[in-house]
Amino acid sequence: MFVQFVEGPLWYFSATVFVIGVAVRLLFALRMGTATPLSKPRGSASQGAIRAVFSRFVPRREFRPRMRLEVIAGYAFHLGLFALLFFAAPHIEFYKDYIFGFAWPAMPRWAFIVVSEIAFAGLLVLWLRRMLHPVSRKLSDAGDHIGSILVFMVMLTGCLALDQSHESLRVLHFFLAELLLIYFPFSSLMHTFTFVFSRGYLGASFARHGVKA
Amino acid sequence: MNIDMNVMQGFMEKVQQMGQMDVPSKLSDVERVDTARRVKLEKMDAQLAVDLDACVHCGLCAEACHFYLSTKDPKYTPIRKLDLMKRLYRRERSSNRWLYRLYTKDITIEDLQEWEELVYDSCTVCQRCSLICPMGIHIASGVAIMRSAMRAADLMPVEVRLVGQEQGEQGTLFGLGSEQFVQAIEELRKTGLEIPLDEPEADILVLSSVMDVMLFRDTLVSTIKIMNHVGARWTFSSQGYESANFGYMTGDEAWQCAASKRVYDAALACGAKTVIVAECGHSYPALRWDGAELLGKPLPFDVLAPSEFLGREIQAGRLKVKPIGKQKKLTFHDACKHARVGGVVEGPRIVMDALGVDFRETEFHGIENLCCGGGAGNFLINRGMPLRQKAFELKMEQFDATGADAVVVSCDSCMMNFMGGAMMHQYEKPFESLVALVGENLATQR
Repeated sequence: MFVQFVEGPLWYFSATVFVIGVAVRLLFALRMGTATPLSKPRGSASQGAIRAVFSRFVPRREFRPRMRLEVIAGYAFHLGLFALLFFAAPHIEFYKDYIFGFAWPAMPRWAFIVVSEIAFAGLLVLWLRRMLHPVSRKLSDAGDHIGSILVFMVMLTGCLALDQSHESLRVLHFFLAELLLIYFPFSSLMHTFTFVFSRGYLGASFARHGVKA
Repeated sequence: MNIDMNVMQGFMEKVQQMGQMDVPSKLSDVERVDTARRVKLEKMDAQLAVDLDACVHCGLCAEACHFYLSTKDPKYTPIRKLDLMKRLYRRERSSNRWLYRLYTKDITIEDLQEWEELVYDSCTVCQRCSLICPMGIHIASGVAIMRSAMRAADLMPVEVRLVGQEQGEQGTLFGLGSEQFVQAIEELRKTGLEIPLDEPEADILVLSSVMDVMLFRDTLVSTIKIMNHVGARWTFSSQGYESANFGYMTGDEAWQCAASKRVYDAALACGAKTVIVAECGHSYPALRWDGAELLGKPLPFDVLAPSEFLGREIQAGRLKVKPIGKQKKLTFHDACKHARVGGVVEGPRIVMDALGVDFRETEFHGIENLCCGGGAGNFLINRGMPLRQKAFELKMEQFDATGADAVVVSCDSCMMNFMGGAMMHQYEKPFESLVALVGENLATQR
């Protein structure tokens, strides 16, 4: 009964909340618009926007010593999660059956294990830093911790379910992933999409002033 | 830099007295909160919305802020300064407001009172935090909105408000009006200087500043000498002479617009195609970037910072300087409002190169510079002095590390803050104005 609920109505509900929630949240923010600048630009805003979206993947040289841990942990977690999400064999099978109707090559089992460990290490370091560093501890709210816990639990159950030896683990993983999808549009996990716009607006603003940032 | 210490003392005393001159707001607490909310909601746009949605609370912005770096106090974390904005956005504008309202507290008068220090005393709107933010959040633009809201709600440091109000409503600054400016020009004319004033036609309108007239006369004299040297058809205007725009710093658009309008009208009156602001950091973005937006039309003239003009004239061969030589070791402090906010970085380096000095960059320079700690009007806030001094310690370390004999500055606010810091710390490295340095080393023939 629970399995049918998780694989049926709850999946459709969570996927719908995710897609519509993300789209509506972005739409509400973007429809507020920005004023058209009247001052004479020193550089191209559109080029600055595009440059900032990509250049921000690498921190500026002068700040690197101050953010080494965060950058390494951040990349470990995000790249690891991306690889698990899109190149783990069970996920590709799921996408084929439930969403796209076609498959693509999966990473081998050993790679899955290595990538999982990297992603876990990254997530744990970031989470520990959030709790221990005086600045991020002061800034963080319950939503940040709920997001971290949910992602951790989804990853953990996913690893445990890898061998598919226990159906209950796979269902639990699926259920937690659905909770994450429902939670996503209401949380700071939205940065997955909003970072493109925030970087773009900043890059455009700086570039108009002739500043490469 | 030669300054009259009696005048400097008088200026400092005047600023200190302002701190005692506050009058209670006519607004009730409820009205203050409502006003602040209204202004914030009016100014909230898509950029701010995606910024608030993109923040992951990593706190890396603190690592770029001179106030956090010098105190290690997490309350100065830049993005935290937008917390009230975020709460309002979540409750009123977000698509999820039906949910967020259940657990997001509304803004109270106590919140606003607490945030007054955060958006004025401990933020110079220098934008350095935006260089480090992995999400590319423009924190300073949010702080500028916060300042507008706080100003409308009568919640801002009295010194900044009084100066902004004086300029916005009376057109004078520290008592310096058109009459006093003309008097100063007349005094300088008696020394033999040829000074065009209120010329009916000119290519360039040159602005001055209350600081240059009252305190930094060397800079004013050098400005005149340089303009005459390059052979420009230029003029001062008795109706639009002031570069400083305290409306920009207070967040009061009406005051800011009034100050910009005086310059705009003066430039139009003489048909100037270029306006050169004084060595007054914020005056550059206030006119160059905000002027057109506030006046609602593109400016029919170019706006140049002094260092930008000097660099351009040297490159064009119209400005010739006497090489000082490598025995003079100099470093340069980039004003945030020129470099990071204004995009003016090359000009001062061209000048240093032409002067042939032993030029030494600080560890962070150009758009990455560390703020002086007194920008955006902060140098006027009496209660903010201890915090500014902590930030000044960072600058001292950087200046000392260069081994330079003197620090060249092209911003009056930075200069004032450095001079105040030097007095407090008995720091002996001299600070020199870039314009004065050029003016004192002009080649005898072009």
